[in-house]
Amino acid sequence: MGTSKKGQFCAAVSANRQIGRRCYRLSLAFEGTGAKAFGELLPGQFAEVDLSEVALPVMEKIPQDLRDASKREIILRRPFSFCDVTVQRNKTIAEILYCVVGPASLRMTTLSAGDSVSVIGPLGNGFSMPKGKKTALLLAGGMGAPPLLHLAKVIRRDYPKIECVAFAGAKTKEELPFKLRLDKASIKSGLVLDEFAKYKIKSFVSTDDGSAGYTGFVTDCLVQWLDECGLKEKDLIIYGCGPEAMLARAAEIADERKIDCQVSMEQMMACGIGLCQSCAVECKTDGSGETIYKMCCKDGPVFDSRELVFKK
Amino acid sequence: MGRSLTAESWFLRNNMMGKSVDISVDFAGVKLANPVFTASGTCGYADELADFMTVNKLGGFITKSITAAPRKGNAVPRIVETDSGMLNAIGLANIGLDKFIKEKLPILRKMSPAIFVNVAGQTIEEYTAVMERLAAEDAIAGFELNISCPNVKKGGISFGTDAGAVAEITSAVKKAAGEKVLMVKLSPCVTDISVMARAAVDAGADAISLINTFTAMVIDIERRKPVLANRTGGLSGPAIKPIAVYMVNKVYNEVTKSCGVPILGLGGIRTASDAIEFIIAGASAVAVGTWNFVEPQGTINIIEGIKQYCLRNNIADIKELTGSLL
Repeated sequence: MGTSKKGQFCAAVSANRQIGRRCYRLSLAFEGTGAKAFGELLPGQFAEVDLSEVALPVMEKIPQDLRDASKREIILRRPFSFCDVTVQRNKTIAEILYCVVGPASLRMTTLSAGDSVSVIGPLGNGFSMPKGKKTALLLAGGMGAPPLLHLAKVIRRDYPKIECVAFAGAKTKEELPFKLRLDKASIKSGLVLDEFAKYKIKSFVSTDDGSAGYTGFVTDCLVQWLDECGLKEKDLIIYGCGPEAMLARAAEIADERKIDCQVSMEQMMACGIGLCQSCAVECKTDGSGETIYKMCCKDGPVFDSRELVFKK
Repeated sequence: MGRSLTAESWFLRNNMMGKSVDISVDFAGVKLANPVFTASGTCGYADELADFMTVNKLGGFITKSITAAPRKGNAVPRIVETDSGMLNAIGLANIGLDKFIKEKLPILRKMSPAIFVNVAGQTIEEYTAVMERLAAEDAIAGFELNISCPNVKKGGISFGTDAGAVAEITSAVKKAAGEKVLMVKLSPCVTDISVMARAAVDAGADAISLINTFTAMVIDIERRKPVLANRTGGLSGPAIKPIAVYMVNKVYNEVTKSCGVPILGLGGIRTASDAIEFIIAGASAVAVGTWNFVEPQGTINIIEGIKQYCLRNNIADIKELTGSLL
């Protein structure tokens, strides 16, 4: 799990498109040393974005359920992973897929082309590549999808012989950070996720309430697929990003079936750079049964699932 | 970067030629290149910070709290953002004295800022044991006695909210500190902070730092539970700055002015203007805490801004400014 040279950079907003009811895609352009640093960003790495000076939308555009939250002053940066990184001749475009949930993401929606933001990154450790594996299983829960999209692209580019299968789940159809396309030719659900299909990766959709695709948790969908796939466990690797309960279940499945599994964890963090010590993730130590806290920002956010102690 | 002062600094460099300003400080006998520290617990042991800024530009550096044995710290969530501030309940997570000496001191030794080690413990014996081990280390300028952490069950704030206990622990660790500067960090969670400052000074404190965080709570109304696993945390950030400035001024007037013990002022500093408020109120030096999380290079801008303020106001020596409130 490697790292690239990090720093504090000024990024220019090149686009900020609404792609769902509360879901947006922000494109940031980096030049100079920032272009180099973010050009080397690994899938699963993240950045801390300063949104404190970004204006709120006008009151009429603030959803009713976020009006109280919109009164909150923000001071801390916010951590975001990236769904795509494109290196151009003299700049790098790094894209953030985000959902509007509180005072910072609400401000983020008002960014438009020409604005600039202060970004610290790339931070943390990304996913390790699936060397020696035959099939990579990308398991995305809700807003956990973005770094897996980036991972899909990089695996396709650097390991074209490795198969990828994506599993994307959310509570409801509306909370899936994708546009769904109906296609009778597609597997089972009849749903296609173009975001994965463009990398020639087939995907399974699940929703807890059955409003789209498989009814149930994305991990149940994975289990069903594993039961039917007829592949050897040692040839598989699971990459997970999503809510902690989903990652805990993924770790359990991986453990039972002896499949390698990497998960991207999330914790409240003040800085993202190892200063504040708030983003503690409980990890096993060798043998003794004692646990230690590692820092999500520096030691993660991607961990080998065998290392983690999940909350019961 | 949006927060640098390019246009203004250009103007000043080109129009203030010939004037000079001395922003070095003698802090309880320790010579500082400038009056800006990073606050304990906000910059680790300096190695993490070094990726983002030139640590050697700081006047002083205060380490994360060190305890005799390593501490895991509290369960998560350990932080929550508040209006213009944040609560933390890290719980003095640290690598412990042995590992600090072996792994971190060699790095700190090579750095030019005055290094203060923040020391915490559950008992007076634990504090003194840590200080005795470190007292002979030439890499260290002094100690900051943490008797104001609100996030641990034993020790911490329980020493800092009773004048008798402040006096007892200060005089006990004074011997252990040997030749090193002993700075006592006060909690604002008291009826009269001057009483605590007086107790520390009379018991031998060479310097006082104030303020630590305020005990506070944020509630998740959907779950009807506190957000932090520790239930309460310490409030820091710009929200507490006016209270901190008031307390520095009060302690300066009522305790330290007459005896010359310097104050390290902190609480919500983000800008040079904030820092200067503390200095005018009575601080000889200032520390930046929460802001490091947002702008790791912020301290450098503050140092530059202090210089510019002095030039603008014909202040030849920053020491003239300490306690100059009219």
